[in-house]
Amino acid sequence: MIQTALNLIVVLVTIGVVMAVVLLHVAYLTYFERKILGWMQDRMGPMEVGYHGLLQPIADGLKLFFKEDIVPAQANKIIFTLAPILVLVPALIGFAVVPFGRDSIHLFGLTFRPYVTDLNIGILYILAFASIGAYGVLLGGWASNNKYSLLGGLRSAAQVISYELSLGLAIVGVLLMAGSLSLVKITEAQNGGALHWFILPQFVAFVIYLISAVAETNRLPFDLPEAESELVAGFFTEYSGMRFAFFFLAEYANMILVSCIATILFLGGWHAPFEALSFIPPILWFAGKVYFFLFFYIWIRGTLPRLRYDQLMMFGWKVMIPLALANILVTSVVLFFIRG
Amino acid sequence: MLSHRGFHHRLKRFLQQVLFLEILAGMAATFKHLFIRRVTIQYPHEKRVLPNGYRGFIALLRYDDGTDKCVGCDLCEAACPSRVITVISAEVEGQPLKRYAKEYTMDMTRCVFCGLCVEACPVNALGMTKEYEYATYDKRNLKLNKEQLLTIGDRAFPVRETRVEFQHPHAAFFNVAHRGYPVK
Repeated sequence: MIQTALNLIVVLVTIGVVMAVVLLHVAYLTYFERKILGWMQDRMGPMEVGYHGLLQPIADGLKLFFKEDIVPAQANKIIFTLAPILVLVPALIGFAVVPFGRDSIHLFGLTFRPYVTDLNIGILYILAFASIGAYGVLLGGWASNNKYSLLGGLRSAAQVISYELSLGLAIVGVLLMAGSLSLVKITEAQNGGALHWFILPQFVAFVIYLISAVAETNRLPFDLPEAESELVAGFFTEYSGMRFAFFFLAEYANMILVSCIATILFLGGWHAPFEALSFIPPILWFAGKVYFFLFFYIWIRGTLPRLRYDQLMMFGWKVMIPLALANILVTSVVLFFIRG
Repeated sequence: MLSHRGFHHRLKRFLQQVLFLEILAGMAATFKHLFIRRVTIQYPHEKRVLPNGYRGFIALLRYDDGTDKCVGCDLCEAACPSRVITVISAEVEGQPLKRYAKEYTMDMTRCVFCGLCVEACPVNALGMTKEYEYATYDKRNLKLNKEQLLTIGDRAFPVRETRVEFQHPHAAFFNVAHRGYPVK
């Protein structure tokens, strides 16, 4: 009985810590995105709130929290309320299976692991919840009863479905090599330095994953669902205040989640690239790699213009999916002959 | 020969597309801009150093003895392209040839800061300051009378010109010798 209670405490504390860290990162990711985009455009980004605008995310959060909660008169109120939750929860829930580090922490006789849980279908679990997130976007766009929202939702549905295919197929190559769906096992399979990371044998899959991940998170150059210049704000045109903040948080949480998965699948998770560098704690290696991907996504946003809709579809179906399938074929054949 | 070159060209195009070379070039450009020195000035906190000859708010000036320079000749009103200035001039008591501006108003809501009034003034009674922060909630605050214009002048031009009274009091309309521009 006591043991169960203690285990519960351990799990709750771990969840709390992971949530806090992720939400803090989400808040400051918005700040760094604005800063980096500003710098890339020869601007300064936020400068007013706090030293060099460091308190800007808090000010933004407060502003959104105190804003009036508006539901359009013609909107479907239940679905309109449900949609932001349906977007945010899957984005946050994916972090449950992400292994952030190697070492468990022992405190007061309790063992805190560096992940909430180690599901043996971890990557499948994340993909499944990512698909539920697409429902939130689609329903939000439909329930607003606004043509721009509806168009944004439709675009999002088509885009997410198309690119989820290539995303999933890109991952299959890694899964074949690791022989497991558990993110912890996949990380451990890449033990032994940068040469054992899956980015080298699975480079094609890595590139496909990176591109599909941008499309999955609805970010530039694949931000057609919210294309400001065409659809006002796309699927969240009618949203304001806290509900808008939910969509906003979900976008950035998704960005971090996608970066975490890229780190685990292709860059060896918390492994150091060389034995000589393993004195740096694993969790810092993990964070550094995730930050690299986050910077990369912001960098891409600062560089590329938005794709046209038919280009997006053609690229997804005629380039990405065949390439991903070919990658699976080659990987399986090679692995079959190597492992006998 | 031609087909060979065509093949080369096509191979180059293909490699460019497959390796995302153009996107990488674009990314290199944006990355370089991360480290370029910003030209932004954080305006309310830090301000530009304005060049001499900046055409800011217009001020009325005084001589060193505190008397107005303005002789009420109306030339500024005539020069003003947007009818900012209204001068009502009057005779100086007991000196029929000497005039002064009894009322002098400037409607700064209309001013285009062209400086033609300053150019037109024969006694250099007008000056352009480096002041520009005159945003206000009430437009009427921008209709400046003589006192306000003189106050701006006192603030912006602390060094005043000496009054030279070398002509007969009844003989001249403009009682100042024109020896170059005064120190403002």
